[in-house]
Amino acid sequence: MFDFLIEGFGVALTPLNLGLAFLGALLGTLFGALPGIGPINGIAILMPLAYTLGLPAESALILLAGIYTGAEYGGRMSSILLNVPGDAGAVMTTLDGHPLAKKGLAGPALGLSAVSSFVGATIAIIGLTLFAPLLAEVAVMFGPAEFFALMVFAFSSMSVMMGKDPIKTAIGAVLGVLIATVGVDSGTGVMRYTFGMPELYDGIDFVVMIIGLFAISEILLMLEHAHRKDGDGELPPLGRVFVSLKEVLYCKGAMWRSGLLGFIIGVLPGTGASVAGAVSYTTEKRLSDKHGTFGKGDMRGLAAPEAANNASAAGSFVPMLTLGIPGSGTTAVLLGALMLYNITPGPMMFTERPEVAGGLIASLYIGNIVLLALNLPLAGVFARVLTIPRWVLVPAIAILAFVGVYQLHSDLTAIYLMLLIGVFGYLLRKLGFSLAPVILGYVLGGLMEQNLRRALSISGGDVDILWQSGISLGLWIAAAALLVLPWLVPKLLAARSRRVG
Amino acid sequence: MSQVTKPVADRLLGIVLIGLAAFVAVQAINLEVPFSYEPVGPRAFPLGLAILLAGLSLVLVFKPGADGEWPHKALAIRLLLVLGLLLAYAMLFTGLGFIPTSLMVVAALARLFGASNGKALITGVLLSAGSYVLFTEGLGIALPTGTWLAAFI
Repeated sequence: MFDFLIEGFGVALTPLNLGLAFLGALLGTLFGALPGIGPINGIAILMPLAYTLGLPAESALILLAGIYTGAEYGGRMSSILLNVPGDAGAVMTTLDGHPLAKKGLAGPALGLSAVSSFVGATIAIIGLTLFAPLLAEVAVMFGPAEFFALMVFAFSSMSVMMGKDPIKTAIGAVLGVLIATVGVDSGTGVMRYTFGMPELYDGIDFVVMIIGLFAISEILLMLEHAHRKDGDGELPPLGRVFVSLKEVLYCKGAMWRSGLLGFIIGVLPGTGASVAGAVSYTTEKRLSDKHGTFGKGDMRGLAAPEAANNASAAGSFVPMLTLGIPGSGTTAVLLGALMLYNITPGPMMFTERPEVAGGLIASLYIGNIVLLALNLPLAGVFARVLTIPRWVLVPAIAILAFVGVYQLHSDLTAIYLMLLIGVFGYLLRKLGFSLAPVILGYVLGGLMEQNLRRALSISGGDVDILWQSGISLGLWIAAAALLVLPWLVPKLLAARSRRVG
Repeated sequence: MSQVTKPVADRLLGIVLIGLAAFVAVQAINLEVPFSYEPVGPRAFPLGLAILLAGLSLVLVFKPGADGEWPHKALAIRLLLVLGLLLAYAMLFTGLGFIPTSLMVVAALARLFGASNGKALITGVLLSAGSYVLFTEGLGIALPTGTWLAAFI
């Protein structure tokens, strides 16, 4: 049953792939630590370079996965040291992380965050190893109708879980799916929304899309903070460099619980690190905050969200690798990256391309150890990255974005399109949209339409096929329940309390 | 782009999106579809999306959320300047070549993001030359050397 993992370690332990896992972890940590650049931006900016290197699919994926997990690590530095969360997943880390830094315990706090990230990620990677092949066996039974229902479920779970505003999350996803319809229709060869521009016949290029949406909009957004002085160049003293074993053991309960919780949340499609961090922090607070120390620099309050968001990062690989449905915005980007290699992740990947699935999982084990080894001794060095001023950072991102898009096509149209998408992304962010649903919609949109049309071709146009099987019916019911319950339950509770009162 | 008290941003957005939905729908209906044995065809999916988008946007029009913080005038001008710079970068990228264009754009961007003149210039020189070496020597990417200059010589 674990043949794929053995084969995977064979792939991951070649010198090239080992080096790439190391490079990815290093680059990811650096990019994650850069102020304002979360994991998703880091991957967006570095991805074109992975193509330039001309790597085979499994090596590119190993590099990108290293960047992903590395950036999740690196993102914690600004949370702890500057009280500025690098991305949504790190918000909970600031609550106890920054007070610890203020107490002069920044060094141990960084060390503890590295250890709890390691524990959380390890739990989740083991979960991934055990769970993914089982799920893949179930998923083999999925036909187009089941996949369509699954994507509907993913979108509804995302609308409820992601972001503050469900309507805007849904609109973002629809916009993403619409962008995916641009180009030649694969079924009939009809041009859709190409406006006679040959550059659009193949659809809006994935790299152009994510670099525009994330990197360019980030540049525009950073302008607002260009002159804000907070944190620029002034780090709190790190204090002791190493976290003591006693402190780690003090948090072991929090790490275990949050790691498991984070993995489960990560597996659910559409719910990413931010939900995992929030749920685990509140759970841990309820369970162990006996003396009211949470929020004032309790080590367990730091360990819990750190273990959880790294566990969810690894957990979100489960739906991505087995069903082809990404569990988060970042895995959506990774999924798109795989599609560029003509690999469609899904149940068949474990049997047809075990070197990709196994290689990735094996490299997650290796990358996780590399990260711990890098982050414990070098936290102080990485923390220096936080002091890079924006006036160096922004032009550097601009160069990376331009070269990244230019080297793909040697074509200026792609660059103009990237700028346009950047403005679109900036406006969306200013209007309170989260970009993750947009990218999920964009990546899943094509598959969603294909599966719908394939299902209806099989049935000869009879829509009943979409909910005929038990699996698809269950998914439709679950999707509907997710949309209705958050709205219905409070009303029912209110009605009940009125009756009681 | 100014600060507003009534929630207009979401209403405006809702109306724009309904317009977009209408555009998407009209385009989809006008697609000329050759005969095929497939029952769905290329129209149905975008049409469904347009209806969904219109419905969601209606909710936005009638139940708008609070406006976010929009850039004040000075920031809006700098925002347009940055956009203009990026556009200029794109336009000059192949014509003038990577190094001179990057040098100017990086220096100007750095200046806009709060660097002093001297620091901006040094950043421009180091970043453009450094990235050129990294990309061409290290990663083997062919960067434009400038077609305009070549035309002169």
